[in-house]
Formats: sequence, C-alpha cells, structure tokens
Amino acid sequence: MLIYLYDGTFEGLLTAIYQAYYRREKPDSITTGSAMQTHLFGRTVQITTDSKKAEKVSQAVREKISPAALSNILFAFLSEQNEATTWVYHYLDLGWKMGKNVDLCLNHNPVLKILDLARKVKGERHRMLGLIRFRRLNLKYDIYYAPYKPDYNITGLVAPHFARRLADQNWIIHDTGRNLAALFNQKEWLLTEFQLDKIPSPAANEETYQKLWKNYFNSVTIKERYNPKLQKQNMPMKYWRYLIEKN
Amino acid sequence: MVFETNYKLVYLMKLEEKIQILADSAKYDVSCSSSGSTRKNKPGGIGNSNLGGICHSWTSDGRCISLLKILFSNDCCYNCVYCVNRMTNDVPRASFTPDELAELTINFYRRNYIEGLFLSSAVLKSPDYTMELLLRTVKKLREEYSFNGYIHLKAIPGADYRLIEEAGRLVDRISVNIELPTQDGLKRLAPQKKKESILGPMGFINSQILEESAAYKRRKKSRIFVPAGQTTQLMIGATPDHDLSILRLAEGLYNHYSLKRVYYSAYIPVATHPNLPALSGPPLLREHRLYQADWLLRFYGFSAGELLNETTPSFDTDIDPKCQWALSNLHLFPVEINKADYQMLLRVPGIGVRSAKRIYAARKVCPLNWESLSKIGVVLKRARFFITCRGKFFGESSMNESLIRENLVTKNKSAVKPAWEQLSLFSYLPGATKLPNDFSANITGEL
Ligand code: SF4
Repeated sequence: MLIYLYDGTFEGLLTAIYQAYYRREKPDSITTGSAMQTHLFGRTVQITTDSKKAEKVSQAVREKISPAALSNILFAFLSEQNEATTWVYHYLDLGWKMGKNVDLCLNHNPVLKILDLARKVKGERHRMLGLIRFRRLNLKYDIYYAPYKPDYNITGLVAPHFARRLADQNWIIHDTGRNLAALFNQKEWLLTEFQLDKIPSPAANEETYQKLWKNYFNSVTIKERYNPKLQKQNMPMKYWRYLIEKN
Repeated sequence: MVFETNYKLVYLMKLEEKIQILADSAKYDVSCSSSGSTRKNKPGGIGNSNLGGICHSWTSDGRCISLLKILFSNDCCYNCVYCVNRMTNDVPRASFTPDELAELTINFYRRNYIEGLFLSSAVLKSPDYTMELLLRTVKKLREEYSFNGYIHLKAIPGADYRLIEEAGRLVDRISVNIELPTQDGLKRLAPQKKKESILGPMGFINSQILEESAAYKRRKKSRIFVPAGQTTQLMIGATPDHDLSILRLAEGLYNHYSLKRVYYSAYIPVATHPNLPALSGPPLLREHRLYQADWLLRFYGFSAGELLNETTPSFDTDIDPKCQWALSNLHLFPVEINKADYQMLLRVPGIGVRSAKRIYAARKVCPLNWESLSKIGVVLKRARFFITCRGKFFGESSMNESLIRENLVTKNKSAVKPAWEQLSLFSYLPGATKLPNDFSANITGEL
C-alpha cells in the first residue's frame, strides 16, 4: 500500500496530486501525518507543500476539467471527512479523462461522494450566511463579534460574503470548535488561529437590540400554525447555541 | 386636536411595544423571500442582496424569517372584515416614525439578524398619507444610512402612482396584495377596496418594469425600478372560491402582469362575521396543494386547465397535483427514462426539475440504470409506476388507476397535519346558515 502524507492544507493536497502524476504513482491514500496507524501497512511518502505546484494543479483542474470541479474538490476538502482527500484524487483521475462531463458519471463512486460532500458543505455555508449572529463589543475599537460552531471548515467560505455586506464595520467570525477566526478591518479579511477565554462585555446598546430581536422573533410566530418539527428540520438544534433568539 | 394627542401617545409608546404590535399584525403576510435582486454594496455603504435569498431564522411555526417584516402602522381607517387591523376591531394601535424604523432596520442588519426590510402598512388616514410615510422611510434608509440591503415594499392600494413610481426606484421588490380572489369577495369582505385600486397599481408597476427593461436592452444600463419584480398574495379559504379559480387567477397574473411570485395564505380565522366562513383552523393542506400547483405552473410547463377543470375544480387531498394529473392521463405513461424528452421527464411524478436536468445530461454520457436513478434524486416510490428504465417496468401492478393511486397515497401525513377541514369552508356561522341566492350564483359564475 502506498500512502502519501501531506500537511492537511488544500495546497498540500494539490501538491500531493502533482507528485502522484509526476512520479507516475497511484497512492492508495492521501492523508495527514496524524493518522499514524496507517503507516504500519505500507510505504509512505512525505509530501512537501509547494504553492507553485499546487497552483499548476488548480489551473489544470479549471482548464482541463471545469471551474465547478475545482470548487467541488475545495468544498469536499473542507468537509474534513477522513476519506475526502482520497476521493478528491480519484475524482480528478477520472476528471482528466472525462473533462467537464466528470460530474455526470454518476455510476462512479468517487464522483458521487465528491458531489455529495460538496453539496453538504455548500449547504452549511449557505445556512450560516443567515444564522451567524454578531454582537457589538465594548472595546476601544468598535468590533462586532460572531461565535459559531459549524460542522465543516467553512469560515473562509463565509468571510467574503460578510466582507462585501458589512463592509463598514470591523468584525470577527469565530469558529469556536476549530479555534479559527476570520478578522475584518473594513478593508480586508484574514483567517487566523484564534481563542478567547471569555467574550468581552457587550457595547452599550447591544442588549437592547438583542431584546428587541427576541421580541420580534416571538411576535411573528403564528400560533395557529405551530410546527416545531418543521422549525427544527430547517434550523437544526445544534446551531441554536449561538442564536440570540433561542437563548 | 384629537389626532395630535393620539399621535403623541403613540409616539411615546416604547419601541418594544411597537415592535410587538406591528410585527404581530404583519405576520399574516406570508411572502418573506429576499430573492431576485443583485443590488451591490457601495463604497462606505452597508448591505447588498443575495440573488437566491437568505433565511436568517425559523419561527416555531416552521416559517423562515428573512426580512424584518413589519407594519409602519396598524391604525387603519378601512374595515376589511377578515383583518385584525380593521377600524372597528378593538386592538392596541401603534405607528412608527421613519427614523425609528430606519434605525431599527440598520441595527438588526449589522448583527445579521435580517436580510433587509419588508415594509407594509395599514391605511393610516389615507392611502397617499401612508404611502408618503413609507416612501420617507425607504428614502432615509437608502440615502442617509447608505443601506443597500433588500427592501420589499407593499404599495398601498389607492395611492398616487407618482409615489409608487418614486418608491419603485428605491426598493428591490413591490407587492400589492390581492387577497380576495374575486370581485365578489372584495365587495363582501373589503368594501372600501375596489378591484381597480388593486389591479391598477399592479398594471402600472408592470408597465414601468417593461418600459425599463426595454430601455435596459437598448442602452445596457442596469435596472433600478424594482429589480426583483412584483409579487402578490391571495388568501385561501376566506371566500368560497375553488382551487381552479384561484389557480387561473395566478396563471393570469404570471402571464399578463409578469409577476415574480404569487403567494397563498391560508386564511386564519381572526374575526367572526356573517360574511366569513367558520373555520376550525387555517386550511393549510389547501394552501400546500396550491403552492405545489403553482410550482407546476412556473417550472414544469403545466397550465391551470390541465391540472383542474370544471368537473374537478379542487385538488385531491390525498395525492399531490402532479400525481393527480398523471393518474388522469395514464395513457401517456410509462415513459422510457433514456428516451423521453425533457418536458415529458418533468411531468413524471417523483422527478423534479433538478433530477430531470440530471437525467437529461447524464444519459448522454452513459445510459441510466435503475440504481443511478435513485442516486440522481428520483423518488422511485412514486416514479416507478410511470417509467421504464432500459425497457423494464418496475411498478408491481399493471397500469391500473386505482391500484396506483392506492400506492401513491402517502401513509404518513405528518408533513401537513394541522387542523384543516375542507368541509367547514362552507359551513357558515349559525346566524348565517342560509346563503343568499346571488352568493351561490356568483360562485358558479366564477367557474
Ligand atoms: S386596509 Fe383592510 S386589510 Fe389592510 S390593514 Fe386595513 S383593514 Fe386590514
């Protein structure tokens, strides 16, 4: 068994794919160094991330397969599912042969897996565009802070949306599960490791608006149509923790 | 002056109470969608819109909150009998000021509670007076606050077209609610509203949109007059109209007024009146069926006349409108998945727009087998009676209507289980059990 070990970044994965092609090898698995147990069963190759090689691969995917294929593999990668990286490799393998029709090969397992993962990640991203809640903090600088805990690693996917939309405020979107945050200073955003022991106290009017929002939320419910099952189906309870209106 | 003291009182009322009153009375408007616009943010501004729309929360009735849906005022000088805000109803009254409402919208928006504002109002003093207040609020948001988020404005029937036209240049979507599907309904339930005061502005808005899109094509300038188009709402169950007349009306609105959406709202008994039916609860299943049929009109190439007719003027309660249609057109089935044209694929129960597109594209690459169909998203439970796959038929019965029907009836109706009752639609209040003669004549006249 041939195992490629990479550093867990998307660039690293693309580099691994470049290497497989260059070395004319067919790795059985592409995985991060932390999954040590797999080493017992085969030969391992350590991949050194190289952004030039990664860029070459991403360009080839865009041109030889399709731009959609590139976003599919990025989304699938961000699902952080165990096998996702290996599926990406097999998906591209077929992609080089099929071109943009690769997404139509629905008899092919890796295609189904990649499309399915991409759909899930896209879905959570879209949901979070609505469910992220900012609170204004009482700090020297005016900052809006939004903690959330998504299943998938989507902070880098939601940040551009808020950078366009809330362009005239400073904000932080904090993935509390991964200790990762997007920071925005009204000009540009960046992704960084981030931890807070305690959320700083809220700004002067913050609690008033939270109260008004809860108030609004409760007033628009039509009690004759009460249907909490449908509510939970649309807005799973795992996301309620950071929702102002649900606390 | 009486009015001024009243106004002061209302003004001083705490914001919290106002929100409570004015959100509560706005909640029966079902349209909340924030889709259809591509307005971009401007340097130094706040907000933009998302073409597909974004939901921000879901209330415990399972409906999505996207826009801050609120009335400017519920202090109505009209007396529509089905409405909580009617003049003679004894409820607390409140009105916002344009400043209060703009401030509230911006602060909710900054916290990502909402996608924008859906502003509507009862008729405060007069249609023009109200429309001017709405216009001022919208102007404030766009000009003073540089707000580029989504705004859906309800036009007040009877207001001056110049006000509607000015507002249309600032907002993303305008709607005029028809509510009552027939003129007769209007007469009995909303005596101050005239058909013309509703259809007039709708026609006007449509002509503005058409005019501008012609200019848009000529000069390549971007559309600014209600870029997300206009919509309306029809109330279901407050009048004895059949599904057929409602669906025909919707079809007409799509075809002749180029409406983006028609919303259907199950009438919720908020008032008792001899002219209103006594319902045990909102007719939610009927509303659901109409939404399903509306999709068939907009995305599946069906016409109202194919789905219902004079002998069957209402939808089946047990099966959805597409199954109902397919069962009465069994001679067209089964169709071969690998050959049927796209339009026909769309008509197969269990195949949606997305799966039809995927079948159409995928079968060019490799012929589809039974297994790949379910992966594509076809609901085989329903579709199997209507298709063959590589020549093979998978339904267990021969094409027999009652057998297939039995199989299609969803055993578990929990999806739409609330207290709806079709019969009670026509059972009127005790004091009014005898329907006036012209009443039933009018119903049949509509058919
Ligand atoms: S005009 Fe009629 S429907 Fe509208 S708020 Fe007034 S009473 Fe209600």
